[in-house]
Amino acid sequence: MGDRGEVILGNRVVPPKEEWQIHNAYRRRIVDMVCEGKDGHIPSAFSIIDIIAVLYQYYLKFDAKNPAWEKRDYFILSKGHGCLALYVVLKEHGFLTENDLNGFCQPDGILGEHPDATKVPGVELSTGSLGHGFSMAVGMALGLRIQNRNNRLFVLVGDGECHEGTVWEAANVANNLQLGNLCVVVDWNGSAAQLMPRDDLPAKWKAFGWETHVIDGHSVTELRQALDRIAFKSVGTPTVIVAKTIKGKGVPLLEGHGTWHHRIPKPDEYKIIMEALA
Amino acid sequence: MSASPIRDQFAQTMLEVGAADSDLVVLVGDISHFKLQPFAQACPGRFYNIGICEPTMVSMAAGLAKVGLIPVAHTIAPFLLERSFEQIKLDFGYHQLGGNLITVGSAFDYANLGCTHHCYDDFALLGNLPGTQLFYPGSAVEFDTLFRQVYRRGRLNLFRLPAIAHQQTWNNDDIIPGKAILVQEGSDLTIITTGPHLTTALAAQDELRQKGFHPEIIYIHTIVPLDRDQLLASVQKTRRILVVEEHVFHGGLSSRVLELVRGIRDLQFSSLCLSNEFATHYGSYEDQCRRVGLTKEGILRHVLEKFSKN
Repeated sequence: MGDRGEVILGNRVVPPKEEWQIHNAYRRRIVDMVCEGKDGHIPSAFSIIDIIAVLYQYYLKFDAKNPAWEKRDYFILSKGHGCLALYVVLKEHGFLTENDLNGFCQPDGILGEHPDATKVPGVELSTGSLGHGFSMAVGMALGLRIQNRNNRLFVLVGDGECHEGTVWEAANVANNLQLGNLCVVVDWNGSAAQLMPRDDLPAKWKAFGWETHVIDGHSVTELRQALDRIAFKSVGTPTVIVAKTIKGKGVPLLEGHGTWHHRIPKPDEYKIIMEALA
Repeated sequence: MSASPIRDQFAQTMLEVGAADSDLVVLVGDISHFKLQPFAQACPGRFYNIGICEPTMVSMAAGLAKVGLIPVAHTIAPFLLERSFEQIKLDFGYHQLGGNLITVGSAFDYANLGCTHHCYDDFALLGNLPGTQLFYPGSAVEFDTLFRQVYRRGRLNLFRLPAIAHQQTWNNDDIIPGKAILVQEGSDLTIITTGPHLTTALAAQDELRQKGFHPEIIYIHTIVPLDRDQLLASVQKTRRILVVEEHVFHGGLSSRVLELVRGIRDLQFSSLCLSNEFATHYGSYEDQCRRVGLTKEGILRHVLEKFSKN
C-alpha cells in the first residue's frame, strides 16, 4: 500500500479508484450483455469479476493472438455459470471482440451461458456441470509436471460447487500428488450456506492438506498479497485462496441470494443498476 | 477366477508402447497395480494409482489429454463407466479429447461379487458419444494389435477386456479396427458374435449342421464402428441372423445389427443376449452363462426355436 492508499503492483501504481472503475465497467458490460442476450447469471459474474480481472491483469502469462501458446498459464473457470465475467475480461485482453460480446446467446454467436472451449478463444475448458473443471485441472497440473513444464494453473470454483464430491476427490488427489503448480480460488459468496449452513470452507481445505488463505475477494490488494505468496513449485503443497465475496457485488439491488440469480433486468431496474455502477 | 491372458497382455502392451512413446500415461483405480509395475518401473512418473475416486480419475485423464498426453484409465467396468459417465461424456466427449478407457469386469465376469460389480450396458452408454470407438478384444493379440493402431487417434476408445479369451488365433494383419473377421463360411444362417462367445458359437456349429443349418460365423472385435459391408454381404446371402453377445439388447451388438439390416426384406433376425435385469444369482461365470443360455446348447435351442428351416 502506498502513501496515498494506492495499490502498488510490481512497477505499476494503480489508484484504487481506477481499479474499481475498470471493474465496474466490466460489470456494466455484463449487464448489457444479459439485457441484449436475454439470459445470463449477473450476480454470479459480479461475485468473481474482481478475481478474474486481477488474474488476467497481473498474473497470467498468455498470448491472445495465440491462445494455445504452450508456455501460457492456465485459467479454468470451474463454476462455468460465472462466464460473463470471463468473457468481458477476455475481450479486454484481446481474445474476444466487441462483436463476440454482442453475440452472447445469439444463434450465430460463440458465447453462451456456459463457456465452450471448442469455440471460445482463451477458454481452456467447457464448464457448466459443476465439479468437472477442477478435477480436469488436477490432471492438467499432473500432465504439465510429467512434461517438465512450469506453466501455472489457476482454478476458480464456487462455494456451491464445493458441494460436489468430485471437488474433494480432486482436492485429496492434488495434495497427495503435491501439485504445487496449482492454485484454487474459491468464490465464497455464501451460496452453499443457503442449503448447507455448516460451511467452514477454510477448515475443509486445510483438512485436505492445502495451503489455505482467506481474503476479501473484492480487494485487489488482498488478492495480490495472497497470490504473491504462492511459490508455484512443480512439487509442493497446492494452494487455495478462499475469497470472501458478495454475490451481485457492486449493486445493492442485486446483492445477496434470491431471485436475481438468473434474471434479466427490466428497464427501471436496468437504470438503478447502471446508476449504482456509474 | 483364473488369470486372464488379455489382462496380462494389457500390462505387457503398456510396457512396450510406453517405453517407445513418452506421452503414454496410465492411471488406475486401485486395480492391476501389481501387474502394471513393469510399466511403472520402465516409465517413471507415468503410472499413478489414483485410488477409489473413479470420476476424478476420468477427469484427470481428460486433463492429461488436454495438455497433450495420451491417457489410459483403467479399473472395473461399472466404476469406470457407469459411475463416471458424465465425466466421460463431458470431459472427453464434449471437449473432443483423446484417451483410452480399459475395463475389466464387464457383464458378469465378476459373477460372485454381485450386481454392484456387473456392467451389462457399457456399449450402450458409450456408443452414442460422438467420436468414440468401442473395442471388445477377445484375445491377447487382438488387444495388443488394436490398441497400437488406435491409442493415439485423438478421440476416446473403450477396450472391454473379458476375463475369458476365445481360443482362435489370427494373423496380426487380419486384426483391423472396424473390420469383422469371417471365421466360418456358411450359407443359411449368420451367427454374429463377439468376445468369448466366439468359442460358444464354434462349439455349436457341428450340431447345427446336423439339424440342417450351415452357419456362417462372423466375429466382431470392434462394436463401433461396425463392419457394415461384411455383415450386409453375409446377411444378404443367408437371410438369417443370430447375434450372440454378453450385453443387453439395446445399444449392444444386437440392436446395432438390427438397425443395419432393418431395410432388408425377407430376413429372420434373433438375438441371444442379456435381458434387462440384474444378475442376482451367484455362481461362477460359467454358471451365469448357463443361466442366460449363452452356451452351445443354448445356441442350438435358440436357433431351432427362432428360425424355421423351409
